[in-house]
Amino acid sequence: MASLPKANFAFHDRRRDTDHESFLAHRGFRWLKIATVLMLTVVVSYFLVDVEPRHNGGTWYGYTLGTIGLLLILWLSLLGVRKRKMSEKYFSLKGWTSAHVYLGLALIVIGTWHTGFQLGWNVHTLAWALMMLVILSGIYGIVVYSVLPRSLSNNRREMTREQMVDGLDALDRQLETAAQPLDRHLADVVIAALDQDVFKAGFLARLTGKYPRCATRKALRAFDGTGGDEAADKVRSLLARRQAQLDQIRRHMRYKALLEVWLFIHIPATILLIAALTAHVVSVFYYW
Amino acid sequence: MAFLIRTIDFTATGREIVRDRELAQDSLTIGRAAENDIHLPDLAVEQQHARIDPATGGQLTAEAVGTLGFTVDGRTTTSATFKPQEGVELGFASYRLAVTQDGDGPVTIVITQKEDKPATDAAKGFELASALPSKRAMAWAGLIAVLLAFLAVPIYTNLTRERVEPDYKKPGQTIMDASWSTGDLSVKHHGLEDNCEACHVDAFVSVRDETCLTCHEKIDDHAKIDRQLTSRGPMSRGDQFLWAVAETFGKEGPGNCTTCHTEHEGAGRMEPTPQKFCAECHDGMDTRLKDTQLANAADFGTAHPQLSAVFYGELGSKKTTRLSLDKPIVEQNGLKFPHELHLRKTGGVARMAGNIGSKRDYGPALECKDCHEPTADRYGFKPVEMEEACEACHSLVYDKVGDTFRTLRHGDVDQMRADLAAMDRAPRRPITTGRQRPGDYAQGQRFYQDFGRPSRNYIGINQALSPKGVCGECHIPTTRGGRADVVPVYLNQSFLKHSWFDHKSHGDAAFEKIEGGQRQGEETCISCHAADVSKTSEDLLMPKIAECRDCHLGEKARQAPVPSSCAMCHSYHPKPGGVPERRKDARDKQVAMITRKTG
Repeated sequence: MASLPKANFAFHDRRRDTDHESFLAHRGFRWLKIATVLMLTVVVSYFLVDVEPRHNGGTWYGYTLGTIGLLLILWLSLLGVRKRKMSEKYFSLKGWTSAHVYLGLALIVIGTWHTGFQLGWNVHTLAWALMMLVILSGIYGIVVYSVLPRSLSNNRREMTREQMVDGLDALDRQLETAAQPLDRHLADVVIAALDQDVFKAGFLARLTGKYPRCATRKALRAFDGTGGDEAADKVRSLLARRQAQLDQIRRHMRYKALLEVWLFIHIPATILLIAALTAHVVSVFYYW
Repeated sequence: MAFLIRTIDFTATGREIVRDRELAQDSLTIGRAAENDIHLPDLAVEQQHARIDPATGGQLTAEAVGTLGFTVDGRTTTSATFKPQEGVELGFASYRLAVTQDGDGPVTIVITQKEDKPATDAAKGFELASALPSKRAMAWAGLIAVLLAFLAVPIYTNLTRERVEPDYKKPGQTIMDASWSTGDLSVKHHGLEDNCEACHVDAFVSVRDETCLTCHEKIDDHAKIDRQLTSRGPMSRGDQFLWAVAETFGKEGPGNCTTCHTEHEGAGRMEPTPQKFCAECHDGMDTRLKDTQLANAADFGTAHPQLSAVFYGELGSKKTTRLSLDKPIVEQNGLKFPHELHLRKTGGVARMAGNIGSKRDYGPALECKDCHEPTADRYGFKPVEMEEACEACHSLVYDKVGDTFRTLRHGDVDQMRADLAAMDRAPRRPITTGRQRPGDYAQGQRFYQDFGRPSRNYIGINQALSPKGVCGECHIPTTRGGRADVVPVYLNQSFLKHSWFDHKSHGDAAFEKIEGGQRQGEETCISCHAADVSKTSEDLLMPKIAECRDCHLGEKARQAPVPSSCAMCHSYHPKPGGVPERRKDARDKQVAMITRKTG
């Protein structure tokens, strides 16, 4: 740093600051402030503006909020395009993300106030519900991104994912060898444990981390009461180590699932929302 | 201690070559250099990489010689202690050393070389994506489903439908368009709930007035269109802008049906039209529509003219007059009826009411309801019938035969005249004096006949029609065609012309009395109609607007108990728009009442 030209110090200092600044706090919470002002404006004007016979999407005020909301949704969905486009133009990606988060939150107010709180079983409310789903999944995403990485890191215990898998493979090879002296029954449970692919886990199992049909655990139970037999003891000890390794992998998968699940809602629901919005707008003008 | 080193190699054809050698020593060296006990020819392995030494309790310790580590059951380390009986797998670059020991036998080390496999495979399994369909696939599937169900299907079925006259009872032909409805229709339009195209006839064309008029064909224009256009005030800039936008999007413009009548606001009654639509024209209308008879009105609380009453102002004439209640009004309905006298709590009337109360359901004094009977819907009141309301006290009996009373027919002067003239039992002056006829021929008996001159009958008729007479007691005597008669009676059933008043929602003590802004007690007839102090039937007992405003102020008046828009009392549409039919008095002849008065 000392070698930096003095004239550039301010510039680099700013760079340094932004490097360590969360996108949530970007530029002193600039977008939080803008979004708050936007929300307050909507809430206050809702009560000040007098429309007949009552607030809903079909008044001039409703159309105004609807237009703002629609444009906002389209812009927010462009984050996916922007982040793939490396560029110094069009705001920094961090600023863009910050705006995405806070303007997305403001959309709760804009969208809901646009409805005038008239909800029903129709495509209009479908669009609203999808919008809320997208926003709520986004909030979830921010929360888990701030909470879970630490747990994920703790669970690794300085192992890479490949090493976890290698470890499991190493134990499996030893089990294969160690199980040779076992009789049919015990050999079968070991085969079942070895054949079960740890990554063949369903959505719910990954999210909850519960594997009621874990063959390794079943195999361990099968070795209850075989104490004294040397070969069996060896296999049992290997199975216990396999179980521990499985647990680590599964915990890792669980944290990953909890971290990633929101995107599997956020992204498809956004596309669905754009479809529902299209139907919403077209239907309103079709039956004008 | 002895080690059994087993090296497993594979030939090019995949055949296994197993080579065993035994080493009777306590420690082993591992490395790329050929002098090592375990020689691993892999460039990633150090020349002297690690060594295995015995540790306490039959354990072995593997320790890296240099800085480069090795893996123990997949985990990288530089030092590890393990029990060979339990087994362990050491990894040096591409070589695996499986260390085992059976009982007290030699420690077996099986050396294999692993094939290269793509490292990314393992990492992929950790991703949630491996358990779910791809985001892109879900997005596409959802996109297509939504667009099909909520856009393609309704639009296709709507475009290909057969054009038919809308039928209130039949569902429409467009499929899935219920999902487009923004809310339930009002009660009157409920039958059209499944028939969107009945109103939304053409795609992207707003609901037209002509479509409304296919069913509401009886609705006339509120006023002539050119007069409506003249009377409409200048729009505010905001409204101008909004209408410019609306017309750009194809709305018909101010004054069309949907401007005032909004639908899809939920089941129930249609929302009343807001007063601003009325005020657009009627606020300051006289400045634009110079020849209008109507006073300006914009808000019931702050800008509404005094109520006007329609009444019979000329004695004996059917001609009605309409005047503001602020003007001196003298009603001439042809009756002499002091309300105050009849409602007095003491005195002759009250006494009479008390006397015959049990027969007529009267209380200790007369009340309004004793004469004014509400209509079945309790909206207004039936016409007061003399026979029902008055005759209980004002009897028209003129004779008694045996136990039966003979009564004059009310409402027909000629009949009264004939009845009285023909009354053969009137106490005429007898031809002979001092002698009575015997038995059944005696006066008052069955065969009694009076052969005297009937002059007293005629005197009776004239007396009845005199100002103080039985007819003249309530009716105003006059002369018609040279004969004594009474002025015809014209009673008004409603004083309102352009509005209505629902007694039911006001009366029966259903609402509370307001005094000085406070609710006190219950409202009664006389709290609006000052009947208890009216000494003549020339008083028109309709309350003025100030009394209405005790409760009713304009639509937006927060302090008013009943914020009231124009539509509460007025209808925009001239005929069937909700104005109750004016109740017509069935009697075309309003005439005198007479009681017999013997001379």
